[in-house]
Amino acid sequence: MRLPRQRGTKTAGGEGPPVGLTRARRDNLTAYAFLAPFLIIFLVFLAYPVFYSLYLALHKVPADSFDIFGGLEFVGFANFVKLFADTKFWWSTLMTLYYAALIIPSGIAVSLALALLLNNRLKAVAVYRSAFFMPYVLDMLVVGIVWTLIYSPHVGILVRILEGVGITAFSEKGFLGMPQSAMPAVVFANVLKGAGFGMILYLSAIQNIPRSLYEAAEIDGATGWQRFRQITLPLVKPITFFMVIIGTISALNAFVEVYAMTSGGPNVDVGGKALGATWVTGYYVFDTFYNQFKLGYAAAMSYVLLALTLIVTVVNRRFLRAEI
Amino acid sequence: MSTRLSKRIRKILLYVGLTAAAAVVLFPFFWMAVTAFKQPGQAFAQEIFPSNPTLENFRRVLADYGFTRYFLNSVIVSTSAAVFATLFATLAGYVFAKKEFIGRDKLFGFLLASLMIPGMMYVVPQFAIINRLGWMNTYRAMVVPHLANVFGLFLMRQYMMTIPSELLEAAKIDGAGEWQTFRTIMVPLSVPIIATLFLLTFQFHWNNFLWQLIVTNVERLYTVPVGLAMFKSAHEELYTLKMAGSMISVLPIALIFFFAQRYFIEGMTMGAVKG
Repeated sequence: MRLPRQRGTKTAGGEGPPVGLTRARRDNLTAYAFLAPFLIIFLVFLAYPVFYSLYLALHKVPADSFDIFGGLEFVGFANFVKLFADTKFWWSTLMTLYYAALIIPSGIAVSLALALLLNNRLKAVAVYRSAFFMPYVLDMLVVGIVWTLIYSPHVGILVRILEGVGITAFSEKGFLGMPQSAMPAVVFANVLKGAGFGMILYLSAIQNIPRSLYEAAEIDGATGWQRFRQITLPLVKPITFFMVIIGTISALNAFVEVYAMTSGGPNVDVGGKALGATWVTGYYVFDTFYNQFKLGYAAAMSYVLLALTLIVTVVNRRFLRAEI
Repeated sequence: MSTRLSKRIRKILLYVGLTAAAAVVLFPFFWMAVTAFKQPGQAFAQEIFPSNPTLENFRRVLADYGFTRYFLNSVIVSTSAAVFATLFATLAGYVFAKKEFIGRDKLFGFLLASLMIPGMMYVVPQFAIINRLGWMNTYRAMVVPHLANVFGLFLMRQYMMTIPSELLEAAKIDGAGEWQTFRTIMVPLSVPIIATLFLLTFQFHWNNFLWQLIVTNVERLYTVPVGLAMFKSAHEELYTLKMAGSMISVLPIALIFFFAQRYFIEGMTMGAVKG
């Protein structure tokens, strides 16, 4: 007796009905026909570019050349060698780290605080929830431009409010014009815009915590803070890890907020070199490509970004497995 | 008695906290709107609400600075991208959820793995491909490269897996072909997720500034964000006009969000919770 052949596995010739298509083969054809539009776009615009980018990174791409398929001079790892000797690039990774170090904890804190506020039986909760979430769907470019107005020197609303309470440190150059405050200011704008996303995740995690845990803790005399530290925080840990992962990845991709608010500046003098206080790697890739048109160099840089992203993802996965 | 009083106080404090938080989070949008209605050149006037509100800024950006055209371009790009991206993801999601075929799981894993690739990675090679195809300064260039939405495919598959296969079997027994089954059974039952994905892709393309900037360099094809960025660098000091342009840029998405927030919130967080 022959075992029934599993559908979808390979069809060997000679089995199945002698004429026409076998059922399995027909199923395969139909499936790939449905998949075709998606797969074609995916292959051309998402899969191929990853390899093509490597090709670019290993070649010298003349700045005036638009026809950059084939015929380029192979330079091996020259772009990468140059990159690792490039102060601006190392500085950009440092700034990216700084950006991540600011935005991840503050993003988590604000999201969690909003979620805790919403986790109460109040009438208008849904309205507040929408209000907190809405900025997340709006355009980062616009948000950045609006903040340049708010952060303006001399006459901006924020420096005026601070002058009202006697703080004049930012009046002259504005928050975005000073190296010390530029990055925190960019991060602050971004945290307020993005907090709604983390808030929703935390809120659903908190609402999944059994009430009995809190009741038991209350009977044992735990204070509100203790209940938060001992019950809520450990039980929302998966969300926190997720926030760290996407926070790191978005720091590695940070571009629009910097473009809109500071263009990578203001400059700081580091050992005789002028380096931008918000010069993150994502912005450097853009600048190399769009302003300087060095495609090979930009491609090499984006490959380093990819490597960093993969490392972060793998390390975080390990952590996640170990912790949960 | 005292516990009831303290409960009341707690409630009031919560409302105060929530309102304060909302005020901070929404302040930039409030400030944008207030400034957009101020007299041109009066962006920094010493007042919270404009004493002499005007629509002049909107008239000027729409009539004199090309924002009408930019808006139209944004509508064309975002709508066509949303239609096709949703269609392709629905077709692909269906077979990943309900069909067995050679290489299915491997292919799906491969597609999902691509989600880890940082977006910045694509900028250079996609630009090169668009250039090679001769698509620079076309709507195609803005739309086509983003029509394979892997995250959307994932959402679609997850949703469609919950639809009972018996319904599809029943249709087949009744003599329906593959396409008919898909059209008459799968699509109607997947309307919520199709709507979600449509809105999410529309929103994504409405805000897809970097890519739209890269593939256009003629004003005729600027979308709202690109037009706004160009306006910003050309007229740094025209803040009231910039805020009017900003408002034109965010208003459509804010309105859609207002009416369809459930879809946005569920769609955007679904992947995170389930993945």
